Amino acid sequence: MVNLRRIGRAFFADPATATGTIIVMIFFGLALFGPSIAPYSPTAQNVELIRQPPSFGHPLGTDRLGRDLLSRIIYGARDILILAGSGTALAVICGTLIGVSVSYLGGWLEELVFRLFDGLLALPALLLALLLLGVVGPSRTSVLLVIVVVYTPIVARVARSAVLSLKSRGFIEAARMRGERLSYILWRELLPLVMPTLAVEAALRFSYAIFLVASLGFLGVGVQPPSPDWGLMVLEARNEYALAPWSLYAPAAAIALLVIGVNLMAEGVRQTLNE
Amino acid sequence: MSQEDDRLKTLQIARSEVLTGQMSRRAFLRLGLALGLSAGTTALVACGSGGQTTQPAAAPTGISAGTPSGRLRVASEIPVQLDPAFASSDAEILILNHVYDYLVDVDAGNNIIPRLAREWTVSDDGLTYRLTLADGVTFHDGSPLTASDVVWTFNRLRDATLQLPTADLYANIVEITADGDTAVVFTLAEPNPFFLYDVSDNHALILRAGTTDPATTFNGTGPFRVVEYRTENRIDLAANPTYFQTGKPAVANLEIIFFADQAAAVDALRGGQVDLVLRMSTPLFQTLQQTPGFVAVQTPTNGFDLVRLRSDREPGNKPEVIRALKLATDREAIFRQVKAGLGAVGRDSPIGPLFSAYYSEETPLPPRDPAAARELLSAAGYPDGLKLDLHVPNSGDRPDLAVVLKEQWAEAGIDVNVIVEPESVYYGDNGWLEVNLGITGWGSRPVPQFYLDVMLVSGAVWNESHFSDAEFDALAATARTTLDEAERTRAYREIQRILIERGPIIIPYFFAQLSAHREGISDYVAKAFPGRTDLSVIAV
Repeated sequence: MVNLRRIGRAFFADPATATGTIIVMIFFGLALFGPSIAPYSPTAQNVELIRQPPSFGHPLGTDRLGRDLLSRIIYGARDILILAGSGTALAVICGTLIGVSVSYLGGWLEELVFRLFDGLLALPALLLALLLLGVVGPSRTSVLLVIVVVYTPIVARVARSAVLSLKSRGFIEAARMRGERLSYILWRELLPLVMPTLAVEAALRFSYAIFLVASLGFLGVGVQPPSPDWGLMVLEARNEYALAPWSLYAPAAAIALLVIGVNLMAEGVRQTLNE
Repeated sequence: MSQEDDRLKTLQIARSEVLTGQMSRRAFLRLGLALGLSAGTTALVACGSGGQTTQPAAAPTGISAGTPSGRLRVASEIPVQLDPAFASSDAEILILNHVYDYLVDVDAGNNIIPRLAREWTVSDDGLTYRLTLADGVTFHDGSPLTASDVVWTFNRLRDATLQLPTADLYANIVEITADGDTAVVFTLAEPNPFFLYDVSDNHALILRAGTTDPATTFNGTGPFRVVEYRTENRIDLAANPTYFQTGKPAVANLEIIFFADQAAAVDALRGGQVDLVLRMSTPLFQTLQQTPGFVAVQTPTNGFDLVRLRSDREPGNKPEVIRALKLATDREAIFRQVKAGLGAVGRDSPIGPLFSAYYSEETPLPPRDPAAARELLSAAGYPDGLKLDLHVPNSGDRPDLAVVLKEQWAEAGIDVNVIVEPESVYYGDNGWLEVNLGITGWGSRPVPQFYLDVMLVSGAVWNESHFSDAEFDALAATARTTLDEAERTRAYREIQRILIERGPIIIPYFFAQLSAHREGISDYVAKAFPGRTDLSVIAV
């Protein structure tokens, strides 16, 4: 069985992984305790404090409507982590269920499902997302749906490649000979062996999902204003870059930092599980 | 089906032109199938935030008497359609306004001023207009301008069989006749006190009689002649040495250089590749204001963003709700946050301060009072407040306006859900006329009657708030037809009172038209519709 302590030690032995983990933890902390940390409401406007540069009272400055950027970044962390996190989780669950079961069963069902997924994968993720949002209309739920639809096929394919190499192995044959039920074979025999691959995939998907949420916000088709969505904040700040560069730097830096953190962590997961 | 779709699209595009003041309402109504489509596309792009400066309304005085000298380079959006009958965007009108002439022009103060027509008389019944042309005017090909050219031009514009966008605008004209070579007589079916503004419609540039391809011929009487037109790149013009107005143009060469976006145009201005940019967004303007070596010019316009609630169904059919929304709104704060204080604060009526003869502050606007608004809502049967979807097109500063309103109205217990939509969605399938609560941009017009007739009288084609008020309708009809200026002024004042008291609309601000030029060019007078700017008086 897996030795958690050993994994933990190996995980944090690598400084890059440790850094990534700490960054992600900080953002999770912001998301969890945001309301008690944030100095202001993310939507509160102050007409007297329009486009103020960073100061003691407003460490990241204020935007064109006089809103505190630090508070918007903090609340934005909650938004993006919940959206990208739950979207990724759902996509990984759906992708795993479909990928493991369908590829183990094989036959025409496998052909049908994966040709369909190939069709979806042929479209660039962002294009597919825009098409979907065009149909269902922009909202938080739509963005969640988009993440699930866009990433489920990818996770399913990864699961399938792992299952295909396992399904002809002796222990599966043996289980089948023993007359084990399908669900036992799928979830007790196959799943544990597919898990490490999927864990790495999940971490990677999470970083892509963060990017996707931010991109959709930036394109103005994702979360709607006045939500403190980081992508939306970049979009809104873009036109006034010369007047208030800090209003662009803050959300852009937050997106970059979180994506880098998640990527470093994902790399750590991969290395640790490969050992 | 696809033809039907195209037609809808054309109309949607044309609608945005009307709203940005580039096409008349009647022109829009007239617009047939695919006609004018390409021209409209540019106009859609052009429909951004408006802007304004404070400039004297007087005619430019700095015309030098010497020979034209120097070169003026102007940044512009990309023109598509250069036949005057179809042109509509800023970029298109800007070019044509310098190649051709109007009979009469509208100055920066919205006054009618002479151009080809040096004087005019109106009959007592208001039905006959006689305009006398300037002497010695010639087209660029050397042929003289006569009254028959004017008759030919207007007959073309109102020819119903050609399906031109102007046919409805001029439907009230019974007859146009030449009185000798130098006078033109327009006979109207019913009085129209604003007829000279119609004569100065953007499309009404005088062509030579019999011109077969106006989109490429460019044979005008205007201050400049076309040297070279490179599609989607630039147009080079040279001074017309035989121009009938002495002292014009001031520059020998006019280069209009096309840019796909405003930021690029402003960069070109900063980099010294152009001398003048006629239109830009508020942040770009504010940036230039802080840059030495450039003059940022804001010109007041009567363009505005309209926040409107449908008054023919819940909850807007309750007068208390309309009053509550007005009480919950801080127009001054909106003006500063959304417009950076550029333009003017609105008073819920489209008759803005620019129409100084009609504008009135007689009726006080009640000060903001969210608590009173909450009580009104309670009295109207909404003790727990209201929940409303606010539809807003994703153009100009409208999304910001929506966000500020959401914050202000929240204090009065009104929970707004902002829905930002692309313009094609907001205006598509007439959705903007359907939604309960929306924000629509309206362009600047030289006279206020347009807004009342298309936006507020009962059953008007774009009565988006579905406002229907007998007293208002009667006043609007009076203002439309009376030849008594004092009576019209009274009607407009009453209309402003009604709109403040019970109009289902909020007009938080009027736009400023924002432009900028480098130091060293003089006599630039910006206009509310930048395409009608007179570049021939600018000296370099």
